[in-house]
Amino acid sequence: MSGQEHKQEASLNGIRGQLSGFGDLEDKSLTVPAGQVSLLYIKSVTDGQAISRNIIAPFYEMGNPAGYYSYIADYPGSEVVTEGPRAVELLLSGYACIGWQDKLCFFDVLRAEASSVKETVTESISQGPSDALGENLAVNLNLIRRRYQSAALKMEFTVIGNMSKTKAAILYDEDRVNPEVLAELKEKLDSLKLDILQAAGELEKYISSDKLRIFPKTIVTERPDRVVFNLAEGKVAILLDTTGYAIVLPSIFNDFFIAMDDKIQLPFVGRFLKLLRILGVAMTLWLPALYIAFTSYNPEIVRVQIALLIGGSRATVPYPSFVEVILMMIMMEFLTEASLRLPRAIGPTATTVGGLILGQAATAAGLIGNIMIILVSVVAISNFLVPLNMMSFSIRVLKYFFVIAAAFLGLIGVVICLVGFTLYLCSQRSFGQPYFKLFFLDTIGTSLKKKGGGQ
Amino acid sequence: MMAKSRYFYCLFLMNSLINIINFTPRELLDTRFDGAQSSILVAVVTGTLFIYLFTKVINKFPGKGLPEIFASALPRLLASPLILIYAVLWYFAGALILLSFVDITLRFVSPDTHPTAVLLGFLAVVCLCSRIDPLSLLYGLEVTLGITLPLILYTTVKAVVNPNFSWDAVLQMMTYSLHPPDMNSIAAATFTFSGYINMAIFNRVFHGLKLKHVWILSLEGLLVLLVTFYVPIGYHGTVGVERHVYTWFTTADSIRIEAFLVERMLYIFYFAYSTLALVSAIIQWHVGKELFLSQLPSTGGKPKAKLRREVVILGIFAGGTLFLMRMDQYNLNMLGVFLLHVRWYGELLLILLLFWCYWIIRRRRA
Repeated sequence: MSGQEHKQEASLNGIRGQLSGFGDLEDKSLTVPAGQVSLLYIKSVTDGQAISRNIIAPFYEMGNPAGYYSYIADYPGSEVVTEGPRAVELLLSGYACIGWQDKLCFFDVLRAEASSVKETVTESISQGPSDALGENLAVNLNLIRRRYQSAALKMEFTVIGNMSKTKAAILYDEDRVNPEVLAELKEKLDSLKLDILQAAGELEKYISSDKLRIFPKTIVTERPDRVVFNLAEGKVAILLDTTGYAIVLPSIFNDFFIAMDDKIQLPFVGRFLKLLRILGVAMTLWLPALYIAFTSYNPEIVRVQIALLIGGSRATVPYPSFVEVILMMIMMEFLTEASLRLPRAIGPTATTVGGLILGQAATAAGLIGNIMIILVSVVAISNFLVPLNMMSFSIRVLKYFFVIAAAFLGLIGVVICLVGFTLYLCSQRSFGQPYFKLFFLDTIGTSLKKKGGGQ
Repeated sequence: MMAKSRYFYCLFLMNSLINIINFTPRELLDTRFDGAQSSILVAVVTGTLFIYLFTKVINKFPGKGLPEIFASALPRLLASPLILIYAVLWYFAGALILLSFVDITLRFVSPDTHPTAVLLGFLAVVCLCSRIDPLSLLYGLEVTLGITLPLILYTTVKAVVNPNFSWDAVLQMMTYSLHPPDMNSIAAATFTFSGYINMAIFNRVFHGLKLKHVWILSLEGLLVLLVTFYVPIGYHGTVGVERHVYTWFTTADSIRIEAFLVERMLYIFYFAYSTLALVSAIIQWHVGKELFLSQLPSTGGKPKAKLRREVVILGIFAGGTLFLMRMDQYNLNMLGVFLLHVRWYGELLLILLLFWCYWIIRRRRA
């Protein structure tokens, strides 16, 4: 009872209690011989210059706390607050709190980092926010705090790397986070022995336990809205200074197929888009392998017409389908990699050389079947339907396992690979959470119960 | 983390679906004039009864596998040989599925691939995956069922609504229903229901199994058995059906898909069932491996030592299967039928043993 009432009334100690675990909370007392005032603000959402100019400097110039307090309280935009919840709300939205005796006054020093924030590059969406995380930790924290104004969002700071001394912030929603995940993460971060840490992806490599793995277990994202979305789901985010990416964990397989504009679309459109992505992944994994199986091992599986068509297009190809597929897929990888590294000005050269010369000339020369060219383009394009880069790269590598299995055993190789990777995915855990299973069956059960159906 | 009761149904469904692959349809169709149909009914009743009794008694041991239960109730001299026998049974169950599928692959899909290569491919994935922890295996099983079940349903519906399906042959067959049941057929048909038996190890991840609607299991089992039995008759005729070794694969090969890239139903059928068969072999070998492991002295929680043992056990499993590959189709079939029988008595014995263990423990506590 008493605790509740205590919370209701605004007091410095009450605020401190609620914001415990806020690594970016600044809590100072300013003292002159005539008395002292307390100053509280959250660094990441406030403007340091405005604070020193408008709050700290006048205090020492006046040297009189009572006069100073009335100066602060009368300042346009300031607010005298008596209720606890409102006080925390104001602090989180970029106010500084000045406490004198029992009175609290809030002074607007919000910093909005609109100008220096860049647009997203690797995770573009059609509608919705386009702010990207920058390379400055303070800016990033500002971007996230502004989107997640809750006292439950805690930030803890640590330094990683003996030489690089990279500042890292661990963010989580205290009420929703799984404490085991948090404990495991902190333990791993403590036991890290690194000299240099420069990128978020690097850190994800070090904090995942097993060395041999093809699937990412943490999301590396540049979108603050994705970070916020995941924080609200009870996940932990790590932000690093000097890199424009955040790590979100624990991340399960399905998380990598969520684009941030799924929520903006109508429900059926969103579901259709998700289905497209799954289809894309299935095609990029299976098409090359099935092509090998159908041409070299089991042409009788497909319709006669298709088998003849493929056979006809391969009539001049002087080597088995496995060589053809590997050759073309490696070519495709070269193109993708090269167009990534090429300077902007020469970029179009790659597409011309790749698309026109390689595609046209190779088929004209009879080195590659026409169907193969179509197939390779489909594979390359559908690979990039996955919204998150890490996963789309994993799948890019994964398809070669299927190709090799198909080259050795035909269709049955594809089946073996499918079973193997399904079970491998299911055996993975991301910070103790199952990585892959039919999650929707779990949610169907609970949503039925919520609606009072089922029984 | 513990498994939800839903996964019990997955284990059941897996077995009831893969029974269509090899031995069950052949055994049933061999005795089609001598009581196969009445045997199906008997099998549905006994199968459901077994499931009911087994889940009742295993529920008294939440989170415990067969080795732990036996160790706590039976003298070591009795428990160890029993567990070893069961382990061998489980090993053979998995190995037979693999061997059947090698034969099927050779006959229906890739006649030019070397059988050893196919088996090595199977063994690689089965050995690697049977080391996975039981909970993940259950997740994997569910995902596999999610992939294959729609295909299997499609195959079944497509088979039954086909104009080439002769209902007359089926009706003709039904006139033989009143024949008294036959032991061989009952043993074969109850295999449909024996998915629950894998709980001997998987019970370790179930804490308090809550089963609702057991009648769904018997209904599903009955439907599966009826489809298994009647659909081949509808395609090959009451007499012609006996000429086929892998009856259901030939049946699937009799069906044409008019509007799809793949024209022959066989390949859809083969894809679905090979996926499911691999997963079921993985699950059976996982159980076999765990039973063998339980009889070795404790490793003291060292993962390296456990890994070494698992590699040895799975190596023996794989080597044994490669050796068994020298059997011809006839011997494979004989072994399969023998195993169907032994398995049935084994199940009965296991349930009785579990009740006995429960009785011993309760008396000790009192």
